[in-house]
Amino acid sequence: MSETFTPPAAPPKAPATTTKHPPNWLKIVATAVLLVVLLLLPVIVGNGGVAYLKLAQYILIGAVGGIGLTLLVGQAGQLSLAHPFFLLVGAVGYAVLAGDPEESDDLVGLGLPPLVAVIGAIVLCGLVGLAFAPVAGRLRGIYLGVASLSLVFLGLWLGQSLDMFSGGTSSGRNAPVFALFGFEFANSTPAPTIAGVAIQKQQRLWYLFLAFALISYFLARGAVNSRIGRSWRAVRDNEAAATSMGVHVTRVKAGAFVISSAFAGLAGVMTALWLDLVKPDENEFTGTYSLTVAIAFLAVVIIGGLGSVPGAVIGAALVFGLQQFFLLGSQQFGWFADAAFGGFSAVVVSAFVYGAAIVLVILFEPGGMAAIGRRLLARRRSPDVPSTDDGGRTTPREDRS
Amino acid sequence: MIAARRAGRSALIAGALASSLLLAACGSTADTAGGTEGAGGVITDKGVTDTTITLGIMGDTSGVFKNLGAGLNAGNQLWADDVNAAGGICGRQVEIEVVDHGYKADVAKTLYPQLEPNVLGMVQLLGSPVLAALEPNLIEDDMLAAPASWSSEVLDNPGIMMIGTTYDLEVVNGLAYLQQQGLIADGDTIGHIYIDGEYGGNGLKGSQYYAEQHGITINEAKVTSTDNDLTGIVTGMRGAGVKAIVLTTTPGQTASALAANQALGLNVPVLGNNPTFDPALLETPAASALGNLYVSASNAPFSSPNPKAVEVTTEFKTAYPDAPRNAGITTGYTEGLVWQNVLEAACEAGDLSRAGVKTALTTLTSVDTEGLVDVLDYSSPGSPPTRGVYIAQVDGSVEGGLREVAPLFTAPEAETYVAPFQES
Repeated sequence: MSETFTPPAAPPKAPATTTKHPPNWLKIVATAVLLVVLLLLPVIVGNGGVAYLKLAQYILIGAVGGIGLTLLVGQAGQLSLAHPFFLLVGAVGYAVLAGDPEESDDLVGLGLPPLVAVIGAIVLCGLVGLAFAPVAGRLRGIYLGVASLSLVFLGLWLGQSLDMFSGGTSSGRNAPVFALFGFEFANSTPAPTIAGVAIQKQQRLWYLFLAFALISYFLARGAVNSRIGRSWRAVRDNEAAATSMGVHVTRVKAGAFVISSAFAGLAGVMTALWLDLVKPDENEFTGTYSLTVAIAFLAVVIIGGLGSVPGAVIGAALVFGLQQFFLLGSQQFGWFADAAFGGFSAVVVSAFVYGAAIVLVILFEPGGMAAIGRRLLARRRSPDVPSTDDGGRTTPREDRS
Repeated sequence: MIAARRAGRSALIAGALASSLLLAACGSTADTAGGTEGAGGVITDKGVTDTTITLGIMGDTSGVFKNLGAGLNAGNQLWADDVNAAGGICGRQVEIEVVDHGYKADVAKTLYPQLEPNVLGMVQLLGSPVLAALEPNLIEDDMLAAPASWSSEVLDNPGIMMIGTTYDLEVVNGLAYLQQQGLIADGDTIGHIYIDGEYGGNGLKGSQYYAEQHGITINEAKVTSTDNDLTGIVTGMRGAGVKAIVLTTTPGQTASALAANQALGLNVPVLGNNPTFDPALLETPAASALGNLYVSASNAPFSSPNPKAVEVTTEFKTAYPDAPRNAGITTGYTEGLVWQNVLEAACEAGDLSRAGVKTALTTLTSVDTEGLVDVLDYSSPGSPPTRGVYIAQVDGSVEGGLREVAPLFTAPEAETYVAPFQES
């Protein structure tokens, strides 16, 4: 009976910081500046810097998927390595729902409007996640992690076998162009311009991805701060206590899995649009929907701070952005120019940085970027009060930063 | 308080959205497409100035194909150096801009927009997953690319300039060679181990076609590119009584299959596609078992007595004395030679724009690379430009590890084979 549910006690905080503090102007201004920068990014990088825009889009894919996983791993306390599978289901689902039925005799395409297809793909992923609920609801921790890993292998096999949906590992299938009320997210002549910068396919996709990411961000923040989030944390911290407070543990755990899968599904749709291609991987270790990606998403939530929504976004920027940023820089500014036959290349350096980030976070700041951010904010608010430390817990009980 | 903050935030978002809409409404301009006339009265658009022609490489010097990739890059560069020393093309020097995608499609997708505006076309584009992801971009940008990936499944794109023959035809010719040598006969059973995907799938098409012609039964085994122990599969094939094994695999898998072939006492001849062998295998414990491997490839092996190949490899050894020696070097050089033919034809037609270069390609009916690959004919899109291969056998005593055992030839079965996008 969730009506009788009472939230767990809030962490002890100095009364001055919880009861009343003035509007946080710094935060509001910073948010506004960030939003303006994000909205004007295509103008800032210009038509010559499309590669950086492509990189930024990629980070948003990681952010949407990472937000979904941080809810599951950090808030509901369930380890999952199945994210790449749901990415694949989302990508293939979108291609099947929006695909042109006339495109090929060998491919299934329903020809639905792209927006409907996106929503359909997300719902489909949620349903597939629900099908996994009997497992997700009964297992926890590393057991669920290993069980969910099987889905990545299932995805590999299904992608190879069901080539009427996936297009097969050989050449895959085209990702249908996204369109909204007749406005296509593709190149056009003439192209509209903002401050002299032509708004072509990549600029349009940036705004689309930004909208997807903002919606995901605010939905996740809403969930975390509402009764759903409290029930997730109750289940995470102590299942017996949660049960005694009237939380239906199995249902809550399954629900968290469904929601996380739906976020991954949206990230999958974005991947398909970003690559212009839906193509299952040729093996389980490398590729778009492989074990490497499962680890990358786990790294996103660990670096970001388990359970923190803004943390997941920062983690995505580090994990998904760093390597490609180094590569772009090495091309543009000639870094690592003499790496023709092995040695230090951008790929190697970024692998070191990303590995070191995980080790350092786990050793010195188990709360991740989110904990660093929280501590900085707390210090600024009340310089005379010692920072409200988490008391050595690896996950924050409540995420309000 | 919270409500007030929320309202403030919503107002901010609304304001930001409104301002961006306002900016969006600022104007609309038509893209000024189309080439301009440059030096020598030649039309140019991207990647060509009055003094230089810039070509791109999207290669792999850090991923799974880094040995081959480095060889290809070196071969491309050797060609550019030779051309420039001889005065360039169309009065312009050739420059090559290199990016390394590490065999990752997502990395390639980000790097492409940075490279694309600077180059006329791609002298080398490595990797089938990368090629698949970039195909829409190549079409959109009207770009001509020479792939370091030889599947006949990509020939539906007129922007793909295949250098040499395709995997399916390598297998058809290779099996014909084995039969000529009396190593297999009509009605035999042969095994084919292939990686699921573009590479393996295309190789399998070749053995299926050959088997149909000769009443041969194929014992197929599908693997993923990361399965590194093929002992179980080879054991199964021994049980099925195979007279030969065909491999469309990675070099590591080749070593495993050959080691098993020897250890199980099967000792049948093994035929591999062009990328199945890497000279680095000669330094592995499987080295003694490699002698059974025949490699079918459109390119002359590193140790080929062909005079042009000797010239290229000598140049390579001077320029890169410590670099690994593999078939990538001559392949890379050949890619350059074909590009040279295309650029010269385009120059003659007075159009070095991207569209002009693509048109020039279709006018080429007999590109002669002095025997590095068979004579190439690009006049029928969808059809592989040649069907001829060299057969080489593994031999640790020669440079590059492969000894040529059959000169360039085309089997009758390869002449009749119809590629997936071939017209007529």
